Amino acid sequence: MPADATNTAAPRRPRRWSGITVAAIAIGAIFAAPALFVVARTVTLDASFSDTLDDIRGPLWRTVQLATLVSFSATLLGTGLAWLTVRTDLPFRRVWRIALVLPLVLPSFVGAGAFIAGIAPGGVIHDALDLIGVDAPRRFRGLGASWLVLTAFTYPYVLLPVSARLDSLRTSLAESATLLGLSPRRVFFRIIAPEIRPAVLGGGLLVFLYTLSEFGAVQLLGYDTLTRVIFVTRQADRATSFAAATTLLVLAVVVVTLERRLRGRTSVDQRSAAIDHRPATLGWKRIPATLACAATLAVGLVVPVLSLLVWTRRGFSDGRLDVGDLTDPAINTATVAVIAAIVTVLVVLPIALATTRRPSTATSVAAGAVLGGFAIPGLVIALALAVIALNAPGIGWLYQSFSLLIIGYVIHFGSQALASAEQAVRAVPDHVREQSRLLEPRTARRVLRVDLPMMRPGLLAGGGLVFLATVKELPATLLLAPLDFPTLATEIWGGFNEGLYALTGLASLTLIAVSGVLTWLLVLRPTVRRRR
Amino acid sequence: MKLRTHRSFALIGVAVAALVASACGGDDGNSITVYSGRGNSLIQPIIDRFEEESGIDVKVKYGDSADLALLINEEADAGRAEADVYLSQSPGSIGFVDANLAQIPQATLDLVDPNTRDDDGRWVGISGRQRVLVYNTDDVDPAELPDSIFDLVADDRWAGEIGVAGGNGSFQDFVTAMRFTEGEDVAAAWLSDLAALDPVAYANNNAIVTAVGRGDVQVGLVNHYYNFRQLAENPDQPSANHVFADGDPGATLIVTGAAIVAGSDKADLADQFLQFLLSDEGQQYFANETFEYPLVPGQPTAGNVPPIEFGDVGSIDLDELEGGLGQTRAMIEAAGLES
Repeated sequence: MPADATNTAAPRRPRRWSGITVAAIAIGAIFAAPALFVVARTVTLDASFSDTLDDIRGPLWRTVQLATLVSFSATLLGTGLAWLTVRTDLPFRRVWRIALVLPLVLPSFVGAGAFIAGIAPGGVIHDALDLIGVDAPRRFRGLGASWLVLTAFTYPYVLLPVSARLDSLRTSLAESATLLGLSPRRVFFRIIAPEIRPAVLGGGLLVFLYTLSEFGAVQLLGYDTLTRVIFVTRQADRATSFAAATTLLVLAVVVVTLERRLRGRTSVDQRSAAIDHRPATLGWKRIPATLACAATLAVGLVVPVLSLLVWTRRGFSDGRLDVGDLTDPAINTATVAVIAAIVTVLVVLPIALATTRRPSTATSVAAGAVLGGFAIPGLVIALALAVIALNAPGIGWLYQSFSLLIIGYVIHFGSQALASAEQAVRAVPDHVREQSRLLEPRTARRVLRVDLPMMRPGLLAGGGLVFLATVKELPATLLLAPLDFPTLATEIWGGFNEGLYALTGLASLTLIAVSGVLTWLLVLRPTVRRRR
Repeated sequence: MKLRTHRSFALIGVAVAALVASACGGDDGNSITVYSGRGNSLIQPIIDRFEEESGIDVKVKYGDSADLALLINEEADAGRAEADVYLSQSPGSIGFVDANLAQIPQATLDLVDPNTRDDDGRWVGISGRQRVLVYNTDDVDPAELPDSIFDLVADDRWAGEIGVAGGNGSFQDFVTAMRFTEGEDVAAAWLSDLAALDPVAYANNNAIVTAVGRGDVQVGLVNHYYNFRQLAENPDQPSANHVFADGDPGATLIVTGAAIVAGSDKADLADQFLQFLLSDEGQQYFANETFEYPLVPGQPTAGNVPPIEFGDVGSIDLDELEGGLGQTRAMIEAAGLES
């Protein structure tokens, strides 16, 4: 096993139950709490499982179908765009790098709603298709529509970690290979692909899990998945609701296990970190490459934003909209999302350290618990946490507190930080760790001055994903937030629900602006600037 | 790099400080907590006015009516009544929590028509929505529109052209009402006739009205006020409401309800809030701002919303609804409609 082989060079042999392993298990247990609650309720509510399975067979099949299709296409798209924007001489590379992350910002129900509005007569897509002489479809629903919309909004889950990995990848080998006459394509598949494989698989897994728990978009697009069963039966038929949630959990466990197997113990070449990036020359392919970026952005950002602008303009024309009303929600949103991102990265880092440096069955289970949290719909996690806080002895004060809201986000979105954090840990080469251990005996200093700077792109990417997810998260925010704590997402939901599209439009645009600025400041600028 | 690290720490510091500061709001005893299944944009303006006029501080938790109902029950099970007032969008959801609701003072109940409040006094209606058929004015000639909801499903003219939200609370409330007024068999037959016309499923009333407006489907079964609200935003939208004949189940009135949560130690303040919602000011707010029907007798509706007589529409008995909702759902599903 390569991991052990490199570890023999370390001064001490790793113990099986090191401190980091124990920490990982403890953290994993917290992540597993909502899942355990769901299973426990399923048992106590006594759903006849065979009956339920009959009821949900159709939705289950549709869920698997959609999640597979979306994760496949989002992985291809995200990886391709990451390579283009990090490792080539694509024009306006830095601009694309920020803009291509932004589709992740739109709450799925708003994105889907904007698409539906855009395809209607008078909508932006309808008019654009009209210009080139194509009739827009009358209805925009079902598997195809859901696949398109979810792919357009989820590929950044692959783009961000893969970009981060490419950022911290040494380039000398690829350059030597190029000098020796290997074609760019072969350089990519022979040298780069093996090194980014864990990041690609990790990102693809996130997309799969996201699609599993997705509710708003598929509901609006009329595609009947398991989350809709959970939602529709949550009041009148709770047994079915919890049984459907348990089914999602089982599905998640299967897929997470599969991904871990597939990823294996890839031996990542760690001998040197990135120093010099000489971008690959695209030549005439710059034009199709630019078009690909533009097309992705047109679908994932421009079309929805144009629809949102149309909604907003109507509201401004009669003076019913007040921008000032959105100040508090915007501040609340930014605050809670930044804190959730930081806490999440700190919480999953021990697990990432354990799974990469002390891999064992126990750490794999802990990592699986973190990943599983993403597959359960936010609504279910929020209810589980609320009930746990209400009934577990000693933690009653947590109920309706900021802390519980943050815990909810951490559990729901920990998976997003984990994949990137594991990449970050791998970015610190073993020999660097060994040398620094000799030169700097104080662990804290060593971590601060050697490990953290090298992990930074990966950790920031992970934090960025959590930030973007938190900003738009709705059901958990509604249920767990303290009283009188409006966020942009809750404003958008309120407006959308009541047919006040102008408010929905303006609040969504504010959300995109806040996320764009903070993503640039906290995630992209530090990594992009480092490479100058 | 060092400088940047410091700056990001400073940013975190500011964020934490802001969070702590905003968390420190004391409770001086003169406040109530409202769980509102009705949206912020709809309810907050009238709550602001109540706070101003009464001096009572109102803390609100917004959410989906059904989710808040689940939460109220969980809180009651744990012996912690966190909410004083529950505002529900749907009669079904208020029925779901009624074991955990307190008795509302008779004087408050008496403000509304007996048809629009609970017989046992555990909830009171604050506004009403009527079921209608919204239609696209470009695609449909009003003369084609049926007087009864039974004629609608008997006519092939509407095959593939009816928008329905089977999973939505108000559709289920309406089907439940039909079961009680027309009988189980009639309701089941109506559902299967509807399913035979291959209706198009949407997420909610809003989505249906929008879909009708752009010609996705020609007609849709919705509550009356969504169209008025969308027209207020977009006067060019070619959609209009068609009201079924008096007494037809298609014209059922669905009320939004307010209740005082059992175990609330501020029941008097909560009652004061309910009375405010039923005052002239509260009722006219619902009439003019949300285009709903006021439930206090003698209150006029907004200019373009036609007035209705409560005696002429079948009002739903929420007591019977509670047990009936699961059955309604099963019937909708059995008919082959998404529930």
